[in-house]
Amino acid sequence: MEAIYGFMESILPFSFMHYDFMKNALLAVLLLTPIFGMIGTMVVDHKLAFFSDALGHSALTGIAIGVLLGISEPVVAMTLFAIVFAILLNSIRRSRVSSSDTVISVFSSTAVALGLVLLSSGGGFSKYSSYLIGDILTIRPAEIGILAVVLVLTLIFWVTCFNKLLQISVNSTLAASRGVPVKAMELIFILVIAVIVTISIRWVGILIINSLLILPAAASRNVARNMRQYHLLSVLFSMAAGVAGLVVSYYYGSAAGPTIVLVSAVFFFATFFLKRLVRN
Amino acid sequence: MKKKCSALLALLLAACLLLSGCTDPHESGKDARLKVVTSFYPVYIAALNLVDGVPGVDLQNLTQPTTGCLHDYQLTPEDMIAMEGADVLVVNGAGMESFLTKVLESYPSVGLITASDGIALIEEEHDHGHEGHDHAAEAHSHEEEGNPHVWVSISNYMQYVQNIADGLSNADPDHRAVYQINAQKYLAKLTELKTKMHGALDSLPNRGIVTFHEAFGYFAEEFDLQVEAVIEREPGTDPTVQELIETVDKIEESGCRALFAEPQYEARLAETISAETGAKVYTLDPCVSGEYDKDAYLKAMEENLKQLVEALSE
Repeated sequence: MEAIYGFMESILPFSFMHYDFMKNALLAVLLLTPIFGMIGTMVVDHKLAFFSDALGHSALTGIAIGVLLGISEPVVAMTLFAIVFAILLNSIRRSRVSSSDTVISVFSSTAVALGLVLLSSGGGFSKYSSYLIGDILTIRPAEIGILAVVLVLTLIFWVTCFNKLLQISVNSTLAASRGVPVKAMELIFILVIAVIVTISIRWVGILIINSLLILPAAASRNVARNMRQYHLLSVLFSMAAGVAGLVVSYYYGSAAGPTIVLVSAVFFFATFFLKRLVRN
Repeated sequence: MKKKCSALLALLLAACLLLSGCTDPHESGKDARLKVVTSFYPVYIAALNLVDGVPGVDLQNLTQPTTGCLHDYQLTPEDMIAMEGADVLVVNGAGMESFLTKVLESYPSVGLITASDGIALIEEEHDHGHEGHDHAAEAHSHEEEGNPHVWVSISNYMQYVQNIADGLSNADPDHRAVYQINAQKYLAKLTELKTKMHGALDSLPNRGIVTFHEAFGYFAEEFDLQVEAVIEREPGTDPTVQELIETVDKIEESGCRALFAEPQYEARLAETISAETGAKVYTLDPCVSGEYDKDAYLKAMEENLKQLVEALSE
Protein backbone atom coordinates (compact mmCIF):
# COMPACT_ATOMS: atom_id res chain seq x y z
CA MET A 1 0.00 0.00 0.00
CA GLU A 2 2.82 2.40 0.90
CA ALA A 3 4.35 1.93 -2.54
CA ILE A 4 1.05 2.80 -4.22
CA TYR A 5 0.63 5.87 -2.00
CA GLY A 6 4.15 7.01 -2.84
CA PHE A 7 3.53 6.51 -6.56
CA MET A 8 0.25 8.43 -6.40
CA GLU A 9 1.88 11.31 -4.58
CA SER A 10 4.65 11.56 -7.12
CA ILE A 11 2.38 11.63 -10.18
CA LEU A 12 -0.38 13.72 -8.60
CA PRO A 13 1.22 16.68 -6.83
CA PHE A 14 -2.06 18.15 -5.57
CA SER A 15 -2.81 19.25 -2.05
CA PHE A 16 -5.58 16.67 -1.58
CA MET A 17 -3.18 13.83 -2.35
CA HIS A 18 -1.47 14.64 0.92
CA TYR A 19 -4.16 12.74 2.80
CA ASP A 20 -4.24 8.96 2.87
CA PHE A 21 -8.03 8.83 2.93
CA MET A 22 -8.16 10.85 -0.30
CA LYS A 23 -5.71 8.43 -1.88
CA ASN A 24 -7.88 5.55 -0.72
CA ALA A 25 -10.98 7.24 -2.09
CA LEU A 26 -9.30 7.90 -5.43
CA LEU A 27 -8.13 4.30 -5.70
CA ALA A 28 -11.63 3.09 -4.86
CA VAL A 29 -13.13 5.37 -7.51
CA LEU A 30 -10.62 4.15 -10.09
CA LEU A 31 -11.63 0.56 -9.35
CA LEU A 32 -15.37 1.09 -8.98
CA THR A 33 -16.09 3.27 -11.98
CA PRO A 34 -14.81 0.86 -14.68
CA ILE A 35 -16.98 -1.87 -13.12
CA PHE A 36 -20.00 0.39 -13.33
CA GLY A 37 -19.09 1.48 -16.85
CA MET A 38 -18.85 -2.09 -18.11
CA ILE A 39 -21.89 -3.52 -16.38
CA GLY A 40 -23.89 -0.36 -17.04
CA THR A 41 -23.83 -0.83 -20.80
CA MET A 42 -25.29 -4.30 -20.45
CA VAL A 43 -27.89 -3.11 -17.94
CA VAL A 44 -29.00 -0.46 -20.39
CA ASP A 45 -29.07 -2.90 -23.32
CA HIS A 46 -31.16 -5.40 -21.41
CA LYS A 47 -33.52 -2.67 -20.21
CA LEU A 48 -32.74 -3.57 -16.62
CA ALA A 49 -32.24 -0.02 -15.31
CA PHE A 50 -35.25 -0.20 -13.05
CA PHE A 51 -34.32 -3.71 -11.98
CA SER A 52 -30.86 -2.64 -10.80
CA ASP A 53 -32.46 0.29 -9.01
CA ALA A 54 -34.66 -2.14 -7.09
CA LEU A 55 -31.59 -4.22 -6.24
CA GLY A 56 -29.90 -1.14 -4.80
CA HIS A 57 -32.93 -0.40 -2.68
CA SER A 58 -33.14 -3.97 -1.46
CA ALA A 59 -29.76 -3.41 0.15
CA LEU A 60 -31.53 -1.43 2.87
CA THR A 61 -33.30 -4.56 4.05
CA GLY A 62 -30.03 -6.45 3.73
CA ILE A 63 -28.33 -3.95 6.01
CA ALA A 64 -31.18 -4.17 8.48
CA ILE A 65 -30.97 -7.96 8.59
CA GLY A 66 -27.22 -7.71 9.06
CA VAL A 67 -27.68 -5.28 11.92
CA LEU A 68 -30.39 -7.41 13.53
CA LEU A 69 -28.20 -10.49 13.39
CA GLY A 70 -25.46 -8.46 14.98
CA ILE A 71 -23.05 -8.77 12.07
CA SER A 72 -20.89 -5.70 12.39
CA GLU A 73 -20.00 -5.77 8.70
CA PRO A 74 -23.35 -6.47 7.09
CA VAL A 75 -21.90 -7.14 3.62
CA VAL A 76 -22.40 -10.90 3.96
CA ALA A 77 -26.05 -10.54 4.96
CA MET A 78 -26.58 -7.93 2.28
CA THR A 79 -25.08 -10.06 -0.48
CA LEU A 80 -27.08 -13.12 0.50
CA PHE A 81 -30.25 -11.08 0.67
CA ALA A 82 -29.59 -9.39 -2.67
CA ILE A 83 -29.02 -12.77 -4.33
CA VAL A 84 -32.26 -14.20 -2.94
CA PHE A 85 -34.07 -11.00 -3.82
CA ALA A 86 -32.70 -11.00 -7.37
CA ILE A 87 -33.64 -14.63 -8.00
CA LEU A 88 -37.13 -14.09 -6.63
CA LEU A 89 -37.62 -10.90 -8.58
CA ASN A 90 -36.34 -12.51 -11.74
CA SER A 91 -38.67 -15.49 -11.51
CA ILE A 92 -41.70 -13.31 -10.89
CA ARG A 93 -40.65 -11.00 -13.68
CA ARG A 94 -40.51 -14.00 -16.02
CA SER A 95 -43.87 -15.42 -14.97
CA ARG A 96 -45.57 -12.26 -16.30
CA VAL A 97 -48.40 -12.16 -13.78
CA SER A 98 -48.44 -8.41 -14.11
CA SER A 99 -46.29 -5.97 -15.99
CA SER A 100 -42.61 -6.05 -15.22
CA ASP A 101 -42.20 -2.49 -13.96
CA THR A 102 -45.10 -2.90 -11.54
CA VAL A 103 -43.61 -6.07 -10.06
CA ILE A 104 -40.20 -4.45 -9.70
CA SER A 105 -41.73 -1.41 -8.07
CA VAL A 106 -43.66 -3.57 -5.61
CA PHE A 107 -40.48 -5.41 -4.63
CA SER A 108 -38.41 -2.28 -4.42
CA SER A 109 -40.81 -0.38 -2.21
CA THR A 110 -41.38 -3.40 0.02
CA ALA A 111 -37.64 -3.80 0.52
CA VAL A 112 -37.19 -0.13 1.36
CA ALA A 113 -40.10 -0.09 3.77
CA LEU A 114 -38.99 -3.29 5.48
CA GLY A 115 -35.45 -1.93 5.80
CA LEU A 116 -36.72 1.34 7.26
CA VAL A 117 -39.02 -0.43 9.71
CA LEU A 118 -36.26 -2.70 10.96
CA LEU A 119 -33.61 0.01 11.18
CA SER A 120 -35.83 2.63 12.79
CA SER A 121 -37.23 0.28 15.42
CA GLY A 122 -34.85 1.72 18.04
CA GLY A 123 -35.86 5.21 16.96
CA GLY A 124 -32.50 6.11 15.54
CA PHE A 125 -32.39 5.75 11.79
CA SER A 126 -29.94 8.62 11.48
CA LYS A 127 -27.13 6.24 12.44
CA TYR A 128 -27.50 4.50 9.11
CA SER A 129 -27.84 7.57 6.95
CA SER A 130 -24.35 7.03 5.59
CA TYR A 131 -25.71 4.05 3.66
CA LEU A 132 -28.01 6.39 1.77
CA ILE A 133 -25.36 8.59 0.23
CA GLY A 134 -22.29 6.44 0.87
CA ASP A 135 -19.01 7.43 2.47
CA ILE A 136 -16.13 6.63 0.21
CA LEU A 137 -13.78 8.58 2.47
CA THR A 138 -13.77 5.85 5.11
CA ILE A 139 -12.80 3.00 2.78
CA ARG A 140 -10.00 0.82 4.13
CA PRO A 141 -7.08 -0.65 2.17
CA ALA A 142 -8.44 -4.19 2.62
CA GLU A 143 -11.74 -3.11 1.10
CA ILE A 144 -9.93 -1.56 -1.84
CA GLY A 145 -8.41 -5.02 -2.31
CA ILE A 146 -11.90 -6.52 -2.47
CA LEU A 147 -12.88 -3.97 -5.11
CA ALA A 148 -9.82 -4.92 -7.15
CA VAL A 149 -10.88 -8.57 -7.01
CA VAL A 150 -14.40 -7.61 -8.06
CA LEU A 151 -13.01 -5.62 -10.99
CA VAL A 152 -10.99 -8.60 -12.18
CA LEU A 153 -14.00 -10.92 -11.85
CA THR A 154 -16.17 -8.43 -13.73
CA LEU A 155 -13.60 -8.30 -16.52
CA ILE A 156 -13.56 -12.11 -16.73
CA PHE A 157 -17.35 -12.17 -16.82
CA TRP A 158 -17.42 -9.50 -19.49
CA VAL A 159 -14.88 -11.25 -21.71
CA THR A 160 -16.54 -14.65 -21.47
CA CYS A 161 -20.23 -13.70 -21.51
CA PHE A 162 -20.44 -10.49 -23.44
CA ASN A 163 -21.20 -12.03 -26.85
CA LYS A 164 -23.95 -14.28 -25.57
CA LEU A 165 -25.56 -11.47 -23.60
CA LEU A 166 -25.40 -9.23 -26.64
CA GLN A 167 -27.20 -11.83 -28.73
CA ILE A 168 -29.89 -12.16 -26.08
CA SER A 169 -30.37 -8.41 -25.84
CA VAL A 170 -30.72 -8.12 -29.62
CA ASN A 171 -33.13 -11.02 -30.05
CA SER A 172 -33.56 -13.63 -27.36
CA THR A 173 -35.50 -16.09 -29.59
CA LEU A 174 -32.79 -16.02 -32.20
CA ALA A 175 -30.15 -16.40 -29.51
CA ALA A 176 -31.96 -19.43 -28.09
CA SER A 177 -32.18 -21.02 -31.53
CA ARG A 178 -28.43 -20.66 -31.82
CA GLY A 179 -27.89 -22.59 -28.62
CA VAL A 180 -27.40 -19.72 -26.15
CA PRO A 181 -28.81 -20.75 -22.74
CA VAL A 182 -30.95 -17.63 -22.45
CA LYS A 183 -32.45 -18.18 -19.02
CA ALA A 184 -29.21 -19.27 -17.41
CA MET A 185 -27.27 -16.38 -18.90
CA GLU A 186 -29.85 -13.85 -17.75
CA LEU A 187 -29.81 -15.31 -14.28
CA ILE A 188 -26.02 -15.16 -14.09
CA PHE A 189 -26.08 -11.60 -15.32
CA ILE A 190 -28.66 -10.58 -12.74
CA LEU A 191 -26.64 -12.22 -9.97
CA VAL A 192 -23.54 -10.37 -11.10
CA ILE A 193 -25.44 -7.07 -10.91
CA ALA A 194 -26.74 -8.03 -7.47
CA VAL A 195 -23.28 -8.81 -6.10
CA ILE A 196 -21.65 -5.72 -7.59
CA VAL A 197 -24.38 -3.43 -6.34
CA THR A 198 -24.23 -4.84 -2.81
CA ILE A 199 -20.47 -4.78 -2.48
CA SER A 200 -20.18 -1.20 -3.62
CA ILE A 201 -23.23 0.21 -1.85
CA ARG A 202 -21.33 1.09 1.34
CA TRP A 203 -19.15 3.51 -0.62
CA VAL A 204 -21.60 4.78 -3.16
CA GLY A 205 -24.92 4.91 -1.34
CA ILE A 206 -28.37 3.45 -1.93
CA LEU A 207 -29.84 6.61 -3.36
CA ILE A 208 -27.30 7.05 -6.12
CA ILE A 209 -25.82 3.68 -6.99
CA ASN A 210 -28.13 3.18 -9.93
CA SER A 211 -27.26 6.55 -11.43
CA LEU A 212 -23.62 5.49 -11.54
CA LEU A 213 -24.63 2.32 -13.34
CA ILE A 214 -26.93 3.97 -15.88
CA LEU A 215 -25.67 7.47 -16.62
CA PRO A 216 -22.24 6.68 -18.15
CA ALA A 217 -23.72 3.97 -20.35
CA ALA A 218 -26.58 6.22 -21.41
CA ALA A 219 -24.18 9.05 -22.20
CA SER A 220 -22.00 6.72 -24.19
CA ARG A 221 -24.99 5.40 -26.13
CA ASN A 222 -25.68 8.95 -27.27
CA VAL A 223 -22.44 9.23 -29.18
CA ALA A 224 -21.00 5.75 -29.72
CA ARG A 225 -21.07 4.47 -33.29
CA ASN A 226 -20.41 0.79 -32.60
CA MET A 227 -20.31 -1.71 -29.75
CA ARG A 228 -16.63 -1.27 -29.07
CA GLN A 229 -16.93 2.50 -28.80
CA TYR A 230 -20.04 2.13 -26.71
CA HIS A 231 -18.25 0.11 -24.04
CA LEU A 232 -15.02 2.04 -24.19
CA LEU A 233 -16.73 5.41 -23.88
CA SER A 234 -18.95 4.18 -21.08
CA VAL A 235 -15.93 3.11 -19.04
CA LEU A 236 -14.15 6.37 -19.86
CA PHE A 237 -17.14 8.54 -18.95
CA SER A 238 -17.59 6.61 -15.77
CA MET A 239 -13.95 6.97 -14.71
CA ALA A 240 -13.71 10.62 -15.70
CA ALA A 241 -16.89 11.47 -13.81
CA GLY A 242 -15.63 9.53 -10.78
CA VAL A 243 -12.31 11.34 -10.56
CA ALA A 244 -13.78 14.75 -11.42
CA GLY A 245 -16.60 14.28 -8.92
CA LEU A 246 -14.21 13.31 -6.15
CA VAL A 247 -11.96 16.31 -6.80
CA VAL A 248 -14.92 18.71 -7.00
CA SER A 249 -16.33 17.31 -3.76
CA TYR A 250 -12.95 17.95 -2.12
CA TYR A 251 -12.87 21.62 -3.06
CA TYR A 252 -16.58 22.24 -2.71
CA GLY A 253 -17.07 20.28 0.51
CA SER A 254 -19.95 18.19 -0.81
CA ALA A 255 -20.58 14.46 -0.49
CA ALA A 256 -18.50 12.55 -3.03
CA GLY A 257 -21.11 10.11 -4.42
CA PRO A 258 -23.76 12.64 -5.45
CA THR A 259 -21.11 14.92 -6.92
CA ILE A 260 -19.89 12.06 -9.13
CA VAL A 261 -23.47 11.49 -10.27
CA LEU A 262 -23.87 15.16 -11.15
CA VAL A 263 -20.74 15.09 -13.28
CA SER A 264 -22.09 11.97 -15.04
CA ALA A 265 -25.35 13.80 -15.64
CA VAL A 266 -23.42 16.67 -17.22
CA PHE A 267 -21.79 14.12 -19.54
CA PHE A 268 -25.17 12.71 -20.44
CA PHE A 269 -26.71 16.05 -21.36
CA ALA A 270 -23.61 17.19 -23.20
CA THR A 271 -23.60 14.05 -25.36
CA PHE A 272 -27.35 14.27 -25.80
CA PHE A 273 -27.20 17.76 -27.26
CA LEU A 274 -24.09 16.87 -29.24
CA LYS A 275 -26.02 14.07 -30.87
CA ARG A 276 -28.93 16.35 -31.75
CA LEU A 277 -26.55 18.95 -33.11
CA VAL A 278 -24.81 16.41 -35.33
CA ARG A 279 -28.12 15.03 -36.57
CA ASN A 280 -29.44 18.42 -37.59
CA MET B 1 -67.10 -11.94 -6.30
CA LYS B 2 -69.36 -11.31 -3.34
CA LYS B 3 -68.04 -14.39 -1.64
CA LYS B 4 -64.49 -13.24 -2.13
CA CYS B 5 -65.30 -9.86 -0.68
CA SER B 6 -66.92 -11.20 2.43
CA ALA B 7 -64.07 -13.66 2.95
CA LEU B 8 -61.64 -10.78 2.75
CA LEU B 9 -63.70 -8.76 5.19
CA ALA B 10 -63.74 -11.63 7.65
CA LEU B 11 -60.00 -11.97 7.33
CA LEU B 12 -59.50 -8.26 8.03
CA LEU B 13 -61.76 -8.43 11.06
CA ALA B 14 -59.89 -11.43 12.39
CA ALA B 15 -56.60 -9.61 11.91
CA CYS B 16 -57.92 -6.60 13.84
CA LEU B 17 -59.04 -8.82 16.69
CA LEU B 18 -55.73 -10.64 16.78
CA LEU B 19 -53.70 -7.44 16.79
CA SER B 20 -55.74 -5.78 19.49
CA GLY B 21 -55.26 -8.88 21.61
CA CYS B 22 -51.49 -8.40 21.53
CA THR B 23 -50.08 -7.53 24.91
CA ASP B 24 -49.18 -3.90 25.28
CA PRO B 25 -45.60 -3.51 26.53
CA HIS B 26 -46.56 -0.46 28.57
CA GLU B 27 -49.53 -1.84 30.40
CA SER B 28 -47.56 -3.49 33.18
CA GLY B 29 -48.04 -0.79 35.81
CA LYS B 30 -51.65 0.17 35.15
CA ASP B 31 -52.60 0.41 38.81
CA ALA B 32 -49.51 2.30 39.89
CA ARG B 33 -49.96 5.32 42.12
CA LEU B 34 -47.41 7.51 40.37
CA LYS B 35 -46.34 7.06 36.76
CA VAL B 36 -42.92 8.54 36.10
CA VAL B 37 -41.71 8.73 32.49
CA THR B 38 -38.13 9.58 31.63
CA SER B 39 -37.06 10.87 28.25
CA PHE B 40 -33.97 8.77 27.68
CA TYR B 41 -31.38 6.44 29.11
CA PRO B 42 -29.20 8.55 31.48
CA VAL B 43 -32.28 10.17 33.02
CA TYR B 44 -33.86 6.76 33.43
CA ILE B 45 -30.78 5.38 35.19
CA ALA B 46 -30.73 8.32 37.60
CA ALA B 47 -34.44 7.96 38.31
CA LEU B 48 -34.06 4.19 38.73
CA ASN B 49 -31.72 4.81 41.65
CA LEU B 50 -34.09 7.34 43.21
CA VAL B 51 -37.39 5.46 43.12
CA ASP B 52 -35.84 2.36 44.67
CA GLY B 53 -38.08 1.14 47.47
CA VAL B 54 -40.82 3.70 46.89
CA PRO B 55 -44.12 1.80 46.71
CA GLY B 56 -46.47 2.19 43.73
CA VAL B 57 -44.13 3.99 41.38
CA ASP B 58 -44.24 2.92 37.74
CA LEU B 59 -41.03 4.09 36.09
CA GLN B 60 -40.89 3.99 32.31
CA ASN B 61 -38.45 5.17 29.71
CA LEU B 62 -39.90 6.95 26.70
CA THR B 63 -37.23 5.84 24.24
CA GLN B 64 -35.45 2.53 23.78
CA PRO B 65 -32.35 1.81 25.88
CA THR B 66 -30.40 1.46 22.63
CA THR B 67 -31.44 4.81 21.18
CA GLY B 68 -28.52 6.85 22.49
CA CYS B 69 -28.49 10.62 22.18
CA LEU B 70 -31.75 12.07 20.97
CA HIS B 71 -30.33 14.12 18.11
CA ASP B 72 -32.81 13.86 15.22
CA TYR B 73 -35.00 11.51 17.25
CA GLN B 74 -38.43 10.74 15.91
CA LEU B 75 -41.15 9.56 18.27
CA THR B 76 -42.77 6.23 17.54
CA PRO B 77 -46.38 5.44 18.49
CA GLU B 78 -44.97 3.18 21.21
CA ASP B 79 -43.30 6.22 22.81
CA MET B 80 -46.57 8.14 22.75
CA ILE B 81 -48.29 5.25 24.50
CA ALA B 82 -45.71 5.45 27.28
CA MET B 83 -46.67 9.11 27.76
CA GLU B 84 -50.32 8.17 28.27
CA GLY B 85 -51.33 8.60 31.88
CA ALA B 86 -47.93 9.92 32.99
CA ASP B 87 -47.89 12.01 36.17
CA VAL B 88 -44.32 13.17 35.94
CA LEU B 89 -42.02 13.50 32.96
CA VAL B 90 -38.29 13.72 33.64
CA VAL B 91 -36.23 15.24 30.87
CA ASN B 92 -32.62 16.25 30.39
CA GLY B 93 -33.47 19.68 29.02
CA ALA B 94 -30.89 22.01 27.44
CA GLY B 95 -32.30 21.24 24.01
CA MET B 96 -31.82 17.47 24.07
CA GLU B 97 -35.52 16.72 23.77
CA SER B 98 -36.46 19.27 21.15
CA PHE B 99 -38.95 16.77 19.71
CA LEU B 100 -40.92 16.80 22.97
CA THR B 101 -42.08 20.43 22.92
CA LYS B 102 -45.01 19.60 20.66
CA VAL B 103 -45.85 16.44 22.58
CA LEU B 104 -45.99 18.26 25.91
CA GLU B 105 -48.60 20.64 24.52
CA SER B 106 -50.95 17.68 24.29
CA TYR B 107 -50.26 16.67 27.91
CA PRO B 108 -50.62 19.93 29.84
CA SER B 109 -51.20 18.20 33.19
CA VAL B 110 -47.91 16.32 33.25
CA GLY B 111 -45.45 17.56 35.85
CA LEU B 112 -42.12 18.33 34.22
CA ILE B 113 -38.75 17.81 35.90
CA THR B 114 -35.79 19.25 34.03
CA ALA B 115 -32.68 17.48 35.28
CA SER B 116 -30.21 20.00 33.89
CA ASP B 117 -31.78 22.93 35.80
CA GLY B 118 -29.20 25.24 37.30
CA ILE B 119 -26.25 23.67 35.49
CA ALA B 120 -24.14 26.18 33.60
CA LEU B 121 -24.22 25.18 29.94
CA ILE B 122 -21.23 25.29 27.63
CA GLU B 123 -22.02 27.47 24.67
CA GLU B 124 -21.17 25.65 21.48
CA GLU B 125 -18.45 27.31 19.52
CA HIS B 126 -19.43 26.32 16.05
CA ASP B 127 -16.62 26.58 13.65
CA HIS B 128 -18.07 24.77 10.68
CA GLY B 129 -15.28 25.50 8.32
CA HIS B 130 -17.02 28.01 6.07
CA GLU B 131 -16.40 31.66 6.78
CA GLY B 132 -18.91 34.28 7.80
CA HIS B 133 -21.86 34.09 5.53
CA ASP B 134 -23.97 31.41 7.14
CA HIS B 135 -23.03 31.93 10.76
CA ALA B 136 -25.95 34.20 11.41
CA ALA B 137 -28.34 31.47 10.29
CA GLU B 138 -26.65 28.84 12.42
CA ALA B 139 -26.62 30.94 15.57
CA HIS B 140 -30.39 30.74 15.55
CA SER B 141 -30.49 26.99 15.22
CA HIS B 142 -30.54 24.54 18.11
CA GLU B 143 -26.91 25.15 19.00
CA GLU B 144 -27.86 28.43 20.56
CA GLU B 145 -29.07 26.47 23.55
CA GLY B 146 -25.65 25.14 24.43
CA ASN B 147 -24.30 21.65 24.74
CA PRO B 148 -26.96 19.31 26.15
CA HIS B 149 -24.60 16.52 27.29
CA VAL B 150 -24.41 17.75 30.88
CA TRP B 151 -24.68 14.35 32.54
CA VAL B 152 -21.34 13.16 31.18
CA SER B 153 -19.56 15.22 33.85
CA ILE B 154 -19.90 13.58 37.26
CA SER B 155 -20.35 16.85 39.17
CA ASN B 156 -23.13 17.90 36.83
CA TYR B 157 -24.66 14.46 37.05
CA MET B 158 -24.76 14.81 40.83
CA GLN B 159 -26.66 18.07 40.45
CA TYR B 160 -28.84 16.25 37.93
CA VAL B 161 -29.62 13.49 40.45
CA GLN B 162 -30.42 16.04 43.14
CA ASN B 163 -32.74 17.93 40.77
CA ILE B 164 -34.63 14.76 39.92
CA ALA B 165 -34.85 13.77 43.60
CA ASP B 166 -36.26 17.20 44.49
CA GLY B 167 -38.70 17.06 41.62
CA LEU B 168 -39.93 13.61 42.61
CA SER B 169 -40.21 14.71 46.26
CA ASN B 170 -42.44 17.59 45.22
CA ALA B 171 -44.58 15.37 43.01
CA ASP B 172 -44.89 12.70 45.68
CA PRO B 173 -44.41 14.52 49.03
CA ASP B 174 -45.48 11.50 51.13
CA HIS B 175 -42.30 9.70 50.17
CA ARG B 176 -39.95 12.67 50.23
CA ALA B 177 -37.71 11.01 52.82
CA VAL B 178 -37.16 7.89 50.70
CA TYR B 179 -36.27 9.89 47.59
CA GLN B 180 -33.82 12.02 49.53
CA ILE B 181 -32.19 9.03 51.25
CA ASN B 182 -31.84 7.28 47.89
CA ALA B 183 -30.30 10.44 46.48
CA GLN B 184 -27.81 10.62 49.37
CA LYS B 185 -26.80 7.01 48.85
CA TYR B 186 -26.34 7.45 45.10
CA LEU B 187 -24.52 10.75 45.51
CA ALA B 188 -22.11 9.13 47.97
CA LYS B 189 -21.23 6.52 45.34
CA LEU B 190 -20.78 9.23 42.73
CA THR B 191 -18.53 11.29 45.02
CA GLU B 192 -16.37 8.26 45.58
CA LEU B 193 -16.17 7.66 41.81
CA LYS B 194 -15.28 11.27 41.20
CA THR B 195 -12.46 11.23 43.76
CA LYS B 196 -11.14 8.03 42.27
CA MET B 197 -11.19 9.42 38.74
CA HIS B 198 -9.51 12.66 39.76
CA GLY B 199 -6.85 10.65 41.56
CA ALA B 200 -6.13 8.58 38.47
CA LEU B 201 -6.46 11.26 35.79
CA ASP B 202 -5.04 14.44 37.33
CA SER B 203 -1.43 13.33 37.15
CA LEU B 204 -1.45 11.94 33.60
CA PRO B 205 1.01 13.67 31.27
CA ASN B 206 -1.18 14.01 28.14
CA ARG B 207 -4.36 16.06 28.27
CA GLY B 208 -5.51 16.10 24.63
CA ILE B 209 -8.43 14.01 23.42
CA VAL B 210 -10.41 13.82 20.18
CA THR B 211 -14.01 12.79 20.61
CA PHE B 212 -16.60 11.51 18.20
CA HIS B 213 -19.39 13.99 18.83
CA GLU B 214 -19.71 16.86 21.26
CA ALA B 215 -20.70 14.66 24.18
CA PHE B 216 -17.56 15.13 26.26
CA GLY B 217 -17.39 18.90 26.69
CA TYR B 218 -18.46 18.84 30.35
CA PHE B 219 -16.45 15.73 31.08
CA ALA B 220 -13.30 17.36 29.70
CA GLU B 221 -13.98 20.48 31.73
CA GLU B 222 -14.32 18.49 34.92
CA PHE B 223 -11.08 16.55 34.47
CA ASP B 224 -9.14 19.37 32.84
CA LEU B 225 -8.78 17.57 29.52
CA GLN B 226 -8.44 19.38 26.24
CA VAL B 227 -10.88 18.40 23.46
CA GLU B 228 -8.64 19.06 20.47
CA ALA B 229 -11.15 18.15 17.81
CA VAL B 230 -14.61 16.66 17.37
CA ILE B 231 -14.95 14.24 14.46
CA GLU B 232 -18.66 14.63 13.74
CA ARG B 233 -19.71 18.28 14.00
CA GLU B 234 -23.37 17.63 13.39
CA PRO B 235 -24.45 14.49 15.23
CA GLY B 236 -25.58 11.83 12.77
CA THR B 237 -24.08 13.56 9.74
CA ASP B 238 -20.85 12.43 8.17
CA PRO B 239 -18.26 15.18 8.02
CA THR B 240 -17.43 16.58 4.60
CA VAL B 241 -13.96 16.18 3.14
CA GLN B 242 -13.04 19.66 4.31
CA GLU B 243 -14.16 18.99 7.88
CA LEU B 244 -12.30 15.69 7.91
CA ILE B 245 -9.14 17.43 6.73
CA GLU B 246 -9.51 20.15 9.36
CA THR B 247 -9.85 17.47 12.02
CA VAL B 248 -6.76 15.66 10.74
CA ASP B 249 -4.78 18.90 10.66
CA LYS B 250 -5.87 19.84 14.16
CA ILE B 251 -4.81 16.44 15.49
CA GLU B 252 -1.44 16.71 13.81
CA GLU B 253 -0.91 20.24 15.09
CA SER B 254 -1.82 19.39 18.67
CA GLY B 255 0.17 16.16 18.69
CA CYS B 256 -2.81 14.40 20.23
CA ARG B 257 -2.34 10.63 20.22
CA ALA B 258 -5.76 9.41 21.35
CA LEU B 259 -9.00 9.26 19.40
CA PHE B 260 -12.16 8.29 21.20
CA ALA B 261 -14.95 6.51 19.40
CA GLU B 262 -18.32 6.06 21.10
CA PRO B 263 -20.03 2.70 21.43
CA GLN B 264 -23.26 4.22 20.08
CA TYR B 265 -21.71 5.03 16.72
CA GLU B 266 -19.67 3.11 14.18
CA ALA B 267 -15.93 3.50 14.66
CA ARG B 268 -15.20 3.71 10.93
CA LEU B 269 -14.55 7.42 10.84
CA ALA B 270 -12.30 7.26 13.87
CA GLU B 271 -10.41 4.42 12.18
CA THR B 272 -9.98 6.43 8.99
CA ILE B 273 -8.56 9.33 10.98
CA SER B 274 -6.42 6.94 12.98
CA ALA B 275 -4.92 5.56 9.76
CA GLU B 276 -4.23 9.12 8.65
CA THR B 277 -2.65 10.48 11.82
CA GLY B 278 -1.35 7.43 13.65
CA ALA B 279 -3.40 8.34 16.73
CA LYS B 280 -4.89 5.26 18.40
CA VAL B 281 -8.62 4.58 18.72
CA TYR B 282 -10.12 4.08 22.18
CA THR B 283 -13.71 4.08 23.37
CA LEU B 284 -15.45 6.59 25.61
CA ASP B 285 -19.02 5.88 26.62
CA PRO B 286 -21.20 8.92 27.28
CA CYS B 287 -23.62 6.57 29.11
CA VAL B 288 -26.54 7.10 26.77
CA SER B 289 -27.34 3.48 26.02
CA GLY B 290 -27.04 0.08 27.62
CA GLU B 291 -28.81 -2.22 30.03
CA TYR B 292 -31.42 -0.96 32.47
CA ASP B 293 -29.07 -1.43 35.39
CA LYS B 294 -28.96 0.81 38.45
CA ASP B 295 -25.19 0.97 38.37
CA ALA B 296 -24.91 1.50 34.60
CA TYR B 297 -23.56 5.04 34.97
CA LEU B 298 -20.96 4.00 37.55
CA LYS B 299 -19.85 1.06 35.43
CA ALA B 300 -19.59 3.10 32.23
CA MET B 301 -17.47 5.71 34.00
CA GLU B 302 -15.17 3.05 35.46
CA GLU B 303 -14.65 1.72 31.94
CA ASN B 304 -14.02 5.25 30.63
CA LEU B 305 -11.44 5.72 33.36
CA LYS B 306 -9.58 2.58 32.26
CA GLN B 307 -9.58 3.67 28.63
CA LEU B 308 -8.44 7.19 29.47
CA VAL B 309 -5.63 6.03 31.72
CA GLU B 310 -4.41 3.70 28.98
CA ALA B 311 -4.72 6.34 26.27
CA LEU B 312 -3.25 9.31 28.07
CA SER B 313 -0.31 7.74 29.84
CA GLU B 314 1.43 6.79 26.60
